[in-house]
Amino acid sequence: MRLTAEGLVVRYPGSDRPALDDVSMDVPSGSLYAVLGPNGSGKSSLMRALLGLLPTERGRVEIDGRPVTAWERRELARAVGAVTQSESISFPLTTRELVAMGRYPYLGPLERERDRDREAIERALVSCDLTELAGRDVTTLSGGEFQRARLARALAQEPRALVLDEPTASLDIGHEMTILELLRSSADSGMTVLLITHGLDMAARFADRLLLLSRGVVAAEGTPGDVVREDILRAVYGWPLAVHADPTTGAPRVTPLASG
Amino acid sequence: MHALLLTIFAAACGGDGAEEGAQEGDRPEPQGSATRIISLVPSATLTLREIGAADRLVGRTDFDTGAWVADLPSVGGGLEPNLEAIVSLRPDLVVRFAGSQDRRTPARLDDLGIPHIAVRPDRVEDVLETVRVLGRATGLEASAAELVARIEAGLAEVEERVRPHPRKRVAYVLGGTPPWVAGPGTYIHELVTLAGGDNVFSDLGELYAGVSPEEIRSREIDVVLVSGTDVFDPSLAPDARIEIVDESIEIPGPHLADAALQLAELIHGPLAPASP
Amino acid sequence: MSRWTLGVGLLIATLVSVLLSVRLGSVPLTTAEVLAALGGNGDPVVQDIVLRLRLPRVFLGVLVGGGLAIAGATFQALLRNPLAEPYILGISGGASVGAVLVLAFGWVAAGSWALPLAAFAGAVLAIVLVFRVATATGRAMDVRVLLLAGVVVAAFFSACIAFILAISPARTVQSAVLWIMGSLAGATWRSVLLTAVYTTPAVLLLVAMARPLNLLAIGEETAHHLGADVERVKRISLVVAALITASGVAVAGVIGFVGLVVPHAVRLVIGSDHRALLPLSFLAGAAFLTLADLGARLALAPTEIPIGVITAFVGVPFFLVLLRRSVATP
Repeated sequence: MRLTAEGLVVRYPGSDRPALDDVSMDVPSGSLYAVLGPNGSGKSSLMRALLGLLPTERGRVEIDGRPVTAWERRELARAVGAVTQSESISFPLTTRELVAMGRYPYLGPLERERDRDREAIERALVSCDLTELAGRDVTTLSGGEFQRARLARALAQEPRALVLDEPTASLDIGHEMTILELLRSSADSGMTVLLITHGLDMAARFADRLLLLSRGVVAAEGTPGDVVREDILRAVYGWPLAVHADPTTGAPRVTPLASG
Repeated sequence: MHALLLTIFAAACGGDGAEEGAQEGDRPEPQGSATRIISLVPSATLTLREIGAADRLVGRTDFDTGAWVADLPSVGGGLEPNLEAIVSLRPDLVVRFAGSQDRRTPARLDDLGIPHIAVRPDRVEDVLETVRVLGRATGLEASAAELVARIEAGLAEVEERVRPHPRKRVAYVLGGTPPWVAGPGTYIHELVTLAGGDNVFSDLGELYAGVSPEEIRSREIDVVLVSGTDVFDPSLAPDARIEIVDESIEIPGPHLADAALQLAELIHGPLAPASP
Repeated sequence: MSRWTLGVGLLIATLVSVLLSVRLGSVPLTTAEVLAALGGNGDPVVQDIVLRLRLPRVFLGVLVGGGLAIAGATFQALLRNPLAEPYILGISGGASVGAVLVLAFGWVAAGSWALPLAAFAGAVLAIVLVFRVATATGRAMDVRVLLLAGVVVAAFFSACIAFILAISPARTVQSAVLWIMGSLAGATWRSVLLTAVYTTPAVLLLVAMARPLNLLAIGEETAHHLGADVERVKRISLVVAALITASGVAVAGVIGFVGLVVPHAVRLVIGSDHRALLPLSFLAGAAFLTLADLGARLALAPTEIPIGVITAFVGVPFFLVLLRRSVATP
């Protein structure tokens, strides 16, 4: 499953500056692709445009070589799982019920879950370390637990690509690593993973390629070594910082400096 | 929905006549010959006309719709009227509703030094008392006494003419869902009784009440009187005669003997002639 | 409690309340008399009471109560707001304007269908107005705009009613208040039939959309990513729920609290899976309103008290307890 954008321009109604301006990227199967950038740089807009939620002004968005608008909704949901930045639940719902919603694109309106569906739900619960929380009301879960439940729901879709908007934002280091390793191994076994994140270090360590956005424009694109560079990051984030190779992993590592 | 209900209840308070406090005895009743009168009570307005004080009226309410008062300026509703309009008409007597529905108006009239009397137009006896009170206030006691006598004679005549007719079981329906009927404490109940009918809902504990449709179906009723344009499902009383009543008779006033006669004719059909 | 246990329980409760409502009323009848009347025998007065007054009334209670409850559950899911209720889009206001106009201008004389027809037309007018406002901003229907538009339109209708009543005689005011409090006393077989023809397919349609409603209840963007056709589901279910409400309000007036309280109660027991929540809310609403009507008929018999009084007396304490619980468990 290949996710591509070419010359993408997106503008919200009534706004004079485009949210995305001439953005291109190419995420081939089996790769983990990270999208980075300061707040408001257009990361979430890119995700929504990629999944057909935002009309494009110019440019193309394609999934497996087909324009995203040409995909039928349920067909797309079977191919691409998405986890948005946030979600608030107002009604009582168990973790298992939330994860089971991932099977929606596989079931007819009155159809009941079959063994296949139950297996997919179980696998998703296990891979996100949620089996013990399956019966809990999701409104009582901690932020990290809820985030894992939402990821598990996307996995239950049995997608060939995953698009995630800051999935590790409220996770502790152990659960963050669990998720990132899960994403990495999924990519290694052929899944396409697009990860939107603020975590420069983790992105540099786990992703194959990075896209750095700044005010809707591509500031840099390439391997972690190409993008995580002092000059580029200083310009984009407007903050003095230093980049070293991490002594343990060898990946580039960012150290923000004092403002003086 | 709550705002809606509040709105409507507020409007509803502008509704029926006073229910508490008879003639208020805490203030000396203005006596003498008022010459510039504003009546806030439509039935009192009619009474004033009957006792020959029509030319002393200087204002009316929106509910006085007779042609003979149409030229007078209106002061709004009978409850919470427009005080500016009242003041500008320089009245020396305001006739207002008794009771607690409008506490503001009497207090403001006192402040403004405008004499006022309260009347309560709820029952047959109230109507007669109102005639006497208005007679004293206008110095027209003689014609008031004459009117009282005329009303009493009219009622006596109705009573006499319905006497030969067997009494009928009557339900007085005011429409609505469930159907609203007149109970024992009402002016309508009095009129029906005077007109030779027995109110089949005299067991109600209230003035007016919505009753279960099956109550109407199960009670033996000879005549259903339906007021005004309200729709009544005739299949609820298949054995009864259904008569439409002009709802103007529901307002107590000096014409009450005529109203009783009208009801009697609806209940019994043509009546025995009056004895000479 | 499982959804099946609750389902069977509610089915029995509905059945029992239906039987009780046929058996009991302000006119005391014996079981034998009621049974004879059901068989078409016995005293014609009793037959009339049972077959032409009580039975249609009970069925209307089932349809209107169930309809209001399932519409409430749907609105709560779509607006993702536990406080949403069937009248939220200004539906009761629109219906009331229609009814009050008919009462004020004496159009009731035109026939017993003038008032329900006008109420229905007013409700539909409110829905159309609110929908147009909510969709005017762009392609997608914004539920926040929908909510706001509903509140504003309701306020406008409230002002219309106040104005009409201000220039109407006291009798109109009284009739309007009574109508707005709601009652099932006007039930006839014809109104039952019309409501059934309307409500049955609407309820089935909503139940068939239970799965996408599950997704919409957790968020539109997520629902989209999970494969739901968000705009379509939103439009169809909102219109269907609004029309159920409009037809209910046309035949029974504005009956509050059923659509708010019943779905919450059901949710507390079986959770928010709409595949179970919607049908069970229908059953619970049917049983609740039938029993409330029985209370309205018996409490001060032969006088009837407005059914809205009963639903509020039961609904408000229940809702406050519910609110405490939901505040206590964050």
